[in-house]
Order: sequence, then structure tokens, then C-alpha cells
Amino acid sequence: MTKTYPKASRPSLDDVSVNIEKGEFVFFIGPSGSGKSTIIKLLLHEVTPNKGKVVVNERDVTSMRSWRIPAFRRQIGCVFQDFRLLPNRTAYENVAFALEVIGKSKGVARRVVPEVLELVGLGGKEHRYPHELSGGEQQRVAVARAFVNRPLILLADEPTGNLDPDTSIEIMRLLDRINRTGTTVVMVTHDSNIVNQMRRRVVEIESGRIVRDQSRGVYG
Amino acid sequence: MRMKYILSEVLTGLWRNVTMTIAMIITMTVSLTMLGASLLLFFQVNKMEDFFYQRVEVSIFLKADVTDEQRANIKSALEGHTLVKEVTYESRDQAWDRFQTQFRDAPDLVKATKKESLPESFRVKLKDPKKVKELQDEFLTQPGVSDIVDQQELLKKVFELLGALQTLALTVAIIQGAAALLLVANTIQVAAYSKRREVAVMKLVGASNWFIQLPFVLEAVFAGLIGALLAFGGLVAAKFFFIDGSLKALANVLLPIDWSSIWLMLPVLAGAGGLVSAITAWITLRFYVRV
Repeated sequence: MTKTYPKASRPSLDDVSVNIEKGEFVFFIGPSGSGKSTIIKLLLHEVTPNKGKVVVNERDVTSMRSWRIPAFRRQIGCVFQDFRLLPNRTAYENVAFALEVIGKSKGVARRVVPEVLELVGLGGKEHRYPHELSGGEQQRVAVARAFVNRPLILLADEPTGNLDPDTSIEIMRLLDRINRTGTTVVMVTHDSNIVNQMRRRVVEIESGRIVRDQSRGVYG
Repeated sequence: MRMKYILSEVLTGLWRNVTMTIAMIITMTVSLTMLGASLLLFFQVNKMEDFFYQRVEVSIFLKADVTDEQRANIKSALEGHTLVKEVTYESRDQAWDRFQTQFRDAPDLVKATKKESLPESFRVKLKDPKKVKELQDEFLTQPGVSDIVDQQELLKKVFELLGALQTLALTVAIIQGAAALLLVANTIQVAAYSKRREVAVMKLVGASNWFIQLPFVLEAVFAGLIGALLAFGGLVAAKFFFIDGSLKALANVLLPIDWSSIWLMLPVLAGAGGLVSAITAWITLRFYVRV
């Protein structure tokens, strides 16, 4: 498919075609502005392609009616470089918020949230506020929030971009664990160290085109 | 739980932005009060027009030196006339009695007026009140007739005044209403901005659109309803202090607005205030904030 942003001189993604299997772990790599983040936005239906289709879980997202988008997004978890936590809520409340706003009861939250916080390694820090947590811990909260609904797909947009190498590797271990539960993980990054360590499928994008698609690949 | 969540969101939203909330409520109140007043006047004028025009009389005043024969001629001419429904004769004594009761609150006026200065008259009710001109043309030239006064002329002036008041109230209602709508739109934008992080997360995790938008819409509806309630209070106060209070004597004749019409204004104003705020808020969210 092709995506051109208005006012852009060239397409952000130009005639790109990728097929990702259920349960896969895929890196999208490439320099800044190569169009790799656009892939995340397309998968979230934040933007729509000008040409071509985005199919998620056998559903054509491109032609989806806008009122169906919320239900669609419940199948997708998302993690960002800047964590996007609510500063006035504790770790527990941040994760519970994701459940409450899609209509889950407080009882469900009480059962599920401690579980998932334990899973990401934040047991005992449930009641800390984001500013009381380190960057790595904040990203763990974000991962917990993304994973608490047991999504089919986890999208990660440079999740280690704000973290030091050691913390980055811990986060990657966490994403790997989540991938092993059967969740498809799509990660956009330009962190060569991590890509090289993980040895997973690598799709390299440059100027909106796929220049490499390699299973068990390394960075550049 | 969801309702509780939404309500607490609404209350914190209103409180976070309390000066804007107050401004919103005040403009809503003024606008809705004027809307209510305008509606009351409108219905009242219509009701009164029917009422008065059916009862309105044409008075044919006789000259002071009218002869018995002239009087009898006029009387018989009126009684047989096709336009006339009913004729009553008011003698000088009756006129004097009526004058005294009518102005019993102004004894000086009564004292200064001589019985002889009051004319005798025929009071005529017409089958069709609009045909007064024909009657006037016919009888003004009759010997013994000094003047023909049509109460409709006076009424017309009163109704014109009330109509002007109604237009004024409606104009103020519209201008204030526009200000209220702009304030609602502004408040919603500010609220959406201050909750942008929450909204972003909600959209990301797939909260439904109505769930995201409802707290904002309800904030506006709340202001609209409070405004309607205060406006209703204003109308009740106006009824209590003016129509039943200081202006009672005048209002009883001109504007006998009863409590049932006032009560009717509560649902009307609440509906108007609530609905208009809700629509404005929703449009703001949908097209400007894109929540």
C-alpha cells in the first residue's frame, strides 16, 4: 500500500507490502523519516492509506466504519517511546484505567491488574506514581497497560528510545515473554544493539520502500 | 461503575474550570429567562387578543343636550341594526356610579369631577368586531351623537406594546443565546485540552466514542440545565414580585399570566437549555476538537 501525508512531497510509504503471521515478532528498522512509524499509525487506523489495504486479523481496516474502530483497537496493545502514562495516576490506576474506559468492572481490574503488573516485574510498586518510577519501570507500566486486555497484537513504537542499553534489554526480554504467549509483536526501532541481540525478523525501510526483509536478521 | 465514572468526570470537569462554568451558567440563565418571558408574552398576547376582541365594546357617547327623541331614534336604529349583537344604555347616573367605583383609589379625581360632565352613552357589542368602521360612519352623523369611541384602538396600542416587549425579549434571548453557545464551545475546548492525555489513552485502548465524549457533553448539559432552573426561578420571581406584587393592578388587566403557564416554562426551558448545550458540545467535539 501507499501512504502520502498531505503537504508531503513524497509518499511516507511507497507501494509497501508486508505480511506478518500470527505470533511473529517483527522489527521495522530504518533511519528517521523512513516511514516506519507510519506503519504503526496505519495498523492503529490513526491514518488510512491512499492506496492499498491494511488487513488485520482477516479484517480490512481501511474500509472500517469509524464507530467500529474502538472495538478494533481493543485487540491491539500499544507502547510508545514517551510511555504516555497519566501522571496523576499510580501504576495500578494507569493500567486499571485502560480496563475501566472500555467498560470492565472494578472487580475485573482488581483481579487482572496486579497479575499483569507482576508479569512485567512491577510487583510491589503498584501504588507509585510515574514520577516515582524509573524510565524502565514506567515503560513496564506502559507495557502492562498495553497487554492487560490480552491483545492479539502488540505495537511498539521505539519503546527503548528513551532508555539506557541495560534497561532496554530488560524491556526487550519482557516483549519477548509477551510474544511467547502468542501475541504478535510489531516493533519499530533504530536501536541496532537490540535488533542484533534478538535475531528476529527484520524489515528495513528506506525512503518509504522496503529494502530488506529477513528472518533472524541483524541491523544494517 | 461506568455511570459513576462519567459523573465524577463531569463534576471534576466543571470544578476545574469553575469560572468558565459560572460564565456559562449566567449567560444561559439570562438567555433562557428572556426566552421564557418572550414565550409567555407570545402566548398571553394571543390568548388576550381573542378574549378582548370578543368583549370589546363600541361606546356611542351622546351630546349633553341630547333630546329624548334623538335618544330614542338612536336606540331603535341600533337595536334593529344588522351589525349589532347587543346594545346597553348607560345613563348619566350609571356612568357616575361606574366612574366612582373605577376610580375609588383616587378620591381627589372623583371629587373634582362633576356628575354632569359625564356623558350618557350606548354600549354596543358588534357581531364582527372588525366592522366598527361601518358603524362609526353611520352613527357619527346622527343627531345627538357626540363621539364614538372604539376600544379596539386602545387595545391595539396595548398589544403593540406587548408585541414590542416580546420582540425585545426574544432579541436579548437570541444574542445571549449566541454568547452562551460560544462559551459552551470554548469550555468544551478547554476541557478537552486539559484532558488530552486521558483522551489519547482512551482512544488508544479502544474506549468507545460516546464514552469519551459523554463527560464533555454532560458538562455542557449540566450548565444548560442549571441555567434553565435559574431562569425558571427568575420567571417565578417576576410573577411573584411584579405580576402578583407591585404591578398587580395593571397586570391583572393586561397580563394575567397564571401559574400553570409559568410551570410549563420549566420543561420548555430545561429542554431548550439542555438540548442546545448538548448539540453545541457534540458539534464542538466532533468537528473542532476531534475527540
